[in-house]
Amino acid sequence: MPLSIFLLLFSMTVSAFAQNLKTPNISANALFLYRNSNFHREDLDPVNPDQDRNGFNLREAEFQFDADVDPYTRMTLLLAIHSSYDASGGAVEEVWTIEPEEGFVESNTIPNTTLKFGKFKATMGKHNTLHTHAYPFIDAPLAHVNLLGDEGLVDVGLSSAILLPIPWFSEVTLQYLRGEGENSEFSSPTTSDGVGLAHWKNLFDLTDALTFEIGASYARGENSLAGTTTLTGADLTFKWRPTEGGKYHSLSWTTEYLARNQSQPGVSDEIGNGLATWVQYQFAERWATTYRYDNLIVENSFDPINLPNDTWSRNSVGLNYIPTEFSSYKLEFNQRTGGIASSTGETTENALFLQANFTIGAHPSHAY
Amino acid sequence: MKIFISAFMIFSFPWIVFAKLQVATSTPDLAAIVKKVGQDHVDVFSIAKGTQDPHQIEAKPSFMIKLRRVDLVVEHGLDLESAWMNPLIQGSRNLKLASQKAVLELAAELVPLEVPKENLTRAQGDVHPGGNPHFQLDPIRIGQASLLIAKRLGEIDPSQKEFYLKNAESFNQHLHEKANLWKERLQKTGITEVVTYHKTFVYFCERFQIQCLVQLEPKPGIPPTANHLLSVIDQMKKRKLHVVLIENIYSDSIKSKLEQAVSAKVAHVPVYVEGEPEITTNEQLIERLVSAIESLK
Repeated sequence: MPLSIFLLLFSMTVSAFAQNLKTPNISANALFLYRNSNFHREDLDPVNPDQDRNGFNLREAEFQFDADVDPYTRMTLLLAIHSSYDASGGAVEEVWTIEPEEGFVESNTIPNTTLKFGKFKATMGKHNTLHTHAYPFIDAPLAHVNLLGDEGLVDVGLSSAILLPIPWFSEVTLQYLRGEGENSEFSSPTTSDGVGLAHWKNLFDLTDALTFEIGASYARGENSLAGTTTLTGADLTFKWRPTEGGKYHSLSWTTEYLARNQSQPGVSDEIGNGLATWVQYQFAERWATTYRYDNLIVENSFDPINLPNDTWSRNSVGLNYIPTEFSSYKLEFNQRTGGIASSTGETTENALFLQANFTIGAHPSHAY
Repeated sequence: MKIFISAFMIFSFPWIVFAKLQVATSTPDLAAIVKKVGQDHVDVFSIAKGTQDPHQIEAKPSFMIKLRRVDLVVEHGLDLESAWMNPLIQGSRNLKLASQKAVLELAAELVPLEVPKENLTRAQGDVHPGGNPHFQLDPIRIGQASLLIAKRLGEIDPSQKEFYLKNAESFNQHLHEKANLWKERLQKTGITEVVTYHKTFVYFCERFQIQCLVQLEPKPGIPPTANHLLSVIDQMKKRKLHVVLIENIYSDSIKSKLEQAVSAKVAHVPVYVEGEPEITTNEQLIERLVSAIESLK
């Protein structure tokens, strides 16, 4: 869709506090990013420089629409605007595109079940379901970016999330994805080959202030190499927010593991797996500090240039300033070793980021 | 087989006949009203604690489990809880809650105050387009809310309609009598204006003819800034204000600054039932506030 037509339509319909039967909830989000890294990734591949660049940028803008369709279904449409770089004409040009990041309908008409159909972020662990502006750090964990792709595992499919009839929150999600689109790990040339995914999430209230969540995920489908791709994941989260003074102090600690095994005839399986563990401590009403360690281990890579056989590891520290629920600022420093080297042969990347995140309109709250 | 059927009938009969209505409320003050009205015929729980800010409750999945068998959800409304209550209701996958009758929003039915006349933007802070939702400190509106709750409980459980209505009318009458006594006591203090942290006391102030025009927040939902505090101190000096009520869902860390700057008398007070351990009813909550103001005169 041409950007100008979309923006015109958007400006005609959006009006804060004016949501009604005729107007869905509408929100817009803009993510601005300053990046300063010793890895000028655009220098790595000047012919195809669709990679992170240093300097200021509008990282992404998102428009979200959601409303009840009727008494049975609810629809959500999320459009993302972002840039890429095109060097096909000789000179490098920035090109802006708009695409449906997600678009699905949900229904709760079956007891204890949420049915979903459309294009959505697959429930492959916790981080994969987050939108970019809700990431706890600037980038997704190394395993997610390199094993699931920049956008994560997102595809058209069917989903059924069932609450089990037991005293704690226990939800089993079964999804069937078509196995096409941007996720090359599941792009089988045979259109009938889909991807089956299962996720089991359990959450316990240890006290009124402390929760413990544990989840497991598994997905399997045919890949474009006439073989099979299998994803395995596990996640563990503790969240603490006191019932007195909880506006001023909170702590969350999440650990997520993701593994991918890809086969193709005649060669050894490619194996990649990584762990990410991160802590966020809110020390004042508007301030929080963060730390993450994540790694990725790759063996028998099918694409050693873009996914080298190596052990990658990264440490990230950050400081978040959150004036309101509609704006936030994030200062972050990352140091990564292993993986892809810089154009000058450096193997350690040091990167400083400053990100500003703004939301207008009726944006739904993020999942717990 | 007959033994199983008999056993099932024996064990399920009391549950079927005497099954209580299951009610969830957003805050404990609403749960206290529901208890007064429903008494032994209702099981009620609150999602927020009395020490938590209901603007910012996290939508924990464990609340979805609590909501999955609920017959009625009672909220303040006017968008106070919508950011977290709507995801909880959807996540509960409780088909009963899809009915309009199953969610009762009270504030809009109780003649809301501070309904904005102009177009709002978020530059004005966390303003509620339908008006101020914090009616829970006005005893008269609490009584009216009990009548609305009784009516809704009676629609869901017609067999006890008269019982609910009788309890609500009695509660309403009692609160009217108490309101007159509280008003007399407050008038005797000679205090005509108080400073508050957030606009939580608007209904309380209107009911008891006390002004509460000055807030420590520069705008709703925005924490006090140094400049705004100077402005508040200046206003307190000019208007000879010395009583400050800080809701205990907020920090009272600026108490000493106000005490030093204008000799303010500051009380850190609960604004929801269960905001302090000994406060378990709406009446006790308002009594606590009236006593706090009396102690600051």
